Amino acid sequence: MPEGLYYTREHEWVKLEGNLARVGVTDYAQDKLGDVVYVELSEVGKQVKQLAESKAKEMELGAVESIKAVSTVHSPLSGAVKETNATLQERPELINTSPYNEGWICLIEPRALEAELKNLMDAKAYAEYLKGLE
Amino acid sequence: MLREIGVASIDDLFVDIPEKIRLKRPLKLPQAMSELEVKRHMKAMLAKNKPFTQMLSFLGGGAWSHYIPSHVRALTQRSEFVTSYTPYQPEVSQGMLQTLFEYQSMVAELVELDVVNASMYDWASALGEAALMCARITHRKRFLIPKLISPGRRATLQTYAVGPGLEVAEIGYDRKTGQLDLSQIRAQLKKDTAGVYVENPSYLGFLETQVEEIANAVHKAGALFVVGVNPISLGLLKAPGDYGADIVVGEGQPLGNPVSFGGPCLGIFACRSEMKLVRQMPGRLIGMTTTLDGGKRGYCMALATREQYIRREQATSNICTNNSLCAVAAAFYLASLGPQGLRKVAERCAANASYAMKKLNAIHGLETPIFDAPHFNEFSLNCDDTHMSIEKLNSKLLKRGIQGGIPLRGEFPELGETGLLCTTELHSRECIDHLAKTLKEIVGGKR
Amino acid sequence: MNYQQARWAEPLIFELSKLGRAWPPPSEKLLKSVNIPKKLLRRRLELPEVSEPQVVRHYTRLSQMNWGVDSGFYPLGSCTMKYNPKICEELAGLETVACIHPHQSEDTVQGALELMYKLEKYLAEIAGVSRVTLHPSAGAHGEFLGMHIIRAYHRFKEEGQRTEVIVPDSAHGTNFASAAMAGFNVVVVPSDVRGRVDLDALKNAVSDRTAALMLTNPNTLGLFEDQILEITDIFHSAGGILYHDGANLNGIMGKTRPGDMGFDIVHYNLHKTFSTPHGGGGPGSGPIGVTRELERFLPVPVVEYDQKHNRYYLDYDRPDSIGKINGFYGNFGVLVKAYAYILLMGADGLTEAAETATLNANYIMRKLLGVKGYELKFDSERPCKHEVAFSAEPLKRETGVTVRDIAKRLLDYGVHAPTYYFPPIVPEVLMIEPTETEPKEELDHFVDALKAIVEEARSRPEKLRTAPHATAIGRLDEVKASREPVLSWRMHRRLKG
Repeated sequence: MPEGLYYTREHEWVKLEGNLARVGVTDYAQDKLGDVVYVELSEVGKQVKQLAESKAKEMELGAVESIKAVSTVHSPLSGAVKETNATLQERPELINTSPYNEGWICLIEPRALEAELKNLMDAKAYAEYLKGLE
Repeated sequence: MLREIGVASIDDLFVDIPEKIRLKRPLKLPQAMSELEVKRHMKAMLAKNKPFTQMLSFLGGGAWSHYIPSHVRALTQRSEFVTSYTPYQPEVSQGMLQTLFEYQSMVAELVELDVVNASMYDWASALGEAALMCARITHRKRFLIPKLISPGRRATLQTYAVGPGLEVAEIGYDRKTGQLDLSQIRAQLKKDTAGVYVENPSYLGFLETQVEEIANAVHKAGALFVVGVNPISLGLLKAPGDYGADIVVGEGQPLGNPVSFGGPCLGIFACRSEMKLVRQMPGRLIGMTTTLDGGKRGYCMALATREQYIRREQATSNICTNNSLCAVAAAFYLASLGPQGLRKVAERCAANASYAMKKLNAIHGLETPIFDAPHFNEFSLNCDDTHMSIEKLNSKLLKRGIQGGIPLRGEFPELGETGLLCTTELHSRECIDHLAKTLKEIVGGKR
Repeated sequence: MNYQQARWAEPLIFELSKLGRAWPPPSEKLLKSVNIPKKLLRRRLELPEVSEPQVVRHYTRLSQMNWGVDSGFYPLGSCTMKYNPKICEELAGLETVACIHPHQSEDTVQGALELMYKLEKYLAEIAGVSRVTLHPSAGAHGEFLGMHIIRAYHRFKEEGQRTEVIVPDSAHGTNFASAAMAGFNVVVVPSDVRGRVDLDALKNAVSDRTAALMLTNPNTLGLFEDQILEITDIFHSAGGILYHDGANLNGIMGKTRPGDMGFDIVHYNLHKTFSTPHGGGGPGSGPIGVTRELERFLPVPVVEYDQKHNRYYLDYDRPDSIGKINGFYGNFGVLVKAYAYILLMGADGLTEAAETATLNANYIMRKLLGVKGYELKFDSERPCKHEVAFSAEPLKRETGVTVRDIAKRLLDYGVHAPTYYFPPIVPEVLMIEPTETEPKEELDHFVDALKAIVEEARSRPEKLRTAPHATAIGRLDEVKASREPVLSWRMHRRLKG
């Protein structure tokens, strides 16, 4: 579990890079899903909202597909999508092999970073959370 | 077995059904019959049908009778195919999977598009699904169709359009040639249209000669071009993939399947291989792959995350059970005929129609075809000048053992007393001569 | 274990042919006679060119690499893979069935219309509904039609705000998709600890936006929703419509009826309960039955009988009809088989089928209950109906062997795998539906195989992870099939360059 990242209950991670936030799915998520065959990316420029209890379209950043399941990627933060990882179109398996690095999904310019970070977990809290799921 | 389960009677296995709703009487159905009795009973009931093999029939309109080679029928009855389920376990279902892959591949050649699904229910529902697919891809809500289209197909499309709130608009046609009005298409395209649907051959049997121009206009407007076909015609005619179609739908029944009162049919559904399209496609797709060790080629279902059993309400369609065995029959048929065989069938169909039109048009009071355009194997016949309704003409024909054309006045009053007739390779010159002679008697007899 | 499937190295039909041969264009003479300009002709047609014996051998070999009910036990849950009587096939092949045209004059298809009319009546009696339509081509097609009727009904009552369809989390995927495709929003309700719909959650989900509930009863765990009368009460007092997914009708036929439970719309899968074959995925037939109140919305045409003239006819004059969902009148060829099946079975036979199917499922349940490695997640106190859903989670925890491994290994024992990974509310689920077709010996063989696999999971798990071994081909790379899709021969040739 990489330190210094923030995590959601839906198994997305956030890494702060200057005034941008890099987003991906966790190792736990990719393991549950199995071999990823396709990643659906959102459009650059899309305005997204931080994931809340009542899930909605405007909280979606795309989807990750294995042969037998589809998992929606929810936005851990509100803001605008600045860039998506185009390499995933050709090599979706990066989600499996390198979930925290090469398998990143998109860059977001956060709108309300400070307030929203409170809703995310740090590595320790996420590890605890995963234990609860076993 | 009851003892093993630990209950005293079969009824103990149904105690979870609340007393109030248990059925306490036998079903009001006939008592069981022996196989022999069922056969006698049903044969007698069905003998009240008059099959077109026992009369002369010129009916088409989306269900066409063609010769089915005996070996095609025999193969289609092989019980390993007939009694199998959807091939969820590819290792024991290679036979069905490879056959369906071959079906997809042969239809792909026929329409000149890379991707064909493993079947839809019929042409009409395939058209409905195509409209929904266009809307999903373009995020637009208008779909254009020709005014001259089979009423069953149009009504089905309208039902499919209700869910996402698509507006189905009609394109008019040239009164002299039947050809779609290009200027109308261009004007309509401006209004945020998702897709344009054209049938070639058209419902009334004539060919659309401006398909390339239509394709260009559609693509320029950012919409998708959908073409509906009778696949037999593609033994002769230009493939839709060759003139810009993005999606092709059609009725595959004539490829080795009996007419059977209009069902089961075979919905053909094909599209370009661009993944933006393929990912939005409805229905099952069979793909080629290898064993895990890479050693052997094999076949399995592919891109299944589009389907309802994985994506549920986000699926591209709700279709589950499709018409696989009809697709299997189509594969047997196409493999048996080959390129030359299919061309010959198509030629025969067209030549018969052409001969029939010439013969019938020579009869005083009849006009065929009503549009000045090349035709494939169906054609319109107008009898306004006989002062007889087309139904009247048909009933007179029927009394003489001939099933005439489909009356069109109800749907298209502007066409007057017009019927839609069809010829296939099953019709001999003598059949057509007999139709002409009989019509001459009827029409002449009236005067 | 002595099963071995045929293993032909059968190339594609294209590879049997001399490829790339030009499509010989038609003669000038012909073109002139048919008046078709050259620019409308195709340029090539690369279909295979093979002889009739080649075609027959190729597809006969392929058929030998395909499992069907006629090959052996096929306990695929929720699919009702029962024996398909051969006489039904023969009757559907009669000229008086195969060679009639949907546009023929009604006088020449009286037999077909009579058969449809009577089949509707029989099906209506079986489900306890007022009227049946035979139009839908499959269960999902029936659901889709049902959703349109529900929409029409609420519009008719000027309650267009009812846009939500409630579906339990254990439902078939088609339920969600059909509701969404017809324009409804899907609201999912969970199951309770007994494996039935959670009544409290259901009460909370119902509102004045509720259009309908879609429910499968017996549900996909093979359990009868024994609170069904409370459920129908909740719905009817809230103004919603109850839709019965009839995929599991084989467990209750003749014992109870969806109409008597309070359902307003019921679909039938003729390719399940009424023994018409599945054909490798279809064609099926999914008629739906409705209450009197909903009859006016049925699709056109409706088959009617004119008693005075003893004549059947098609009625299109129905102003409130939802319209059409297919080109003609449904899968007539399939209807003929279902009609024959009902006559062969009779009232008592159909009830006995449900009883035997239920007996067989309970027998398997009892035999497997003590086997370490498998467990029932829900109710094991009450009998199941026609199917039973075991979880192989204990075995996975113990040995790491997954339910997929078990399923693949079963193939080596000459048994088709049950449904697995569905319903999703049970982890490592094996959904087993034996049907009434199987004798005790076959059930015992199946149970023994499942027991032997548990032993194998402990002693030589590799054998399971690499299974199947006795089939036409070994485990396939399904990931590759979706990552780099090759969907036709021309696509294969193009990708290979």
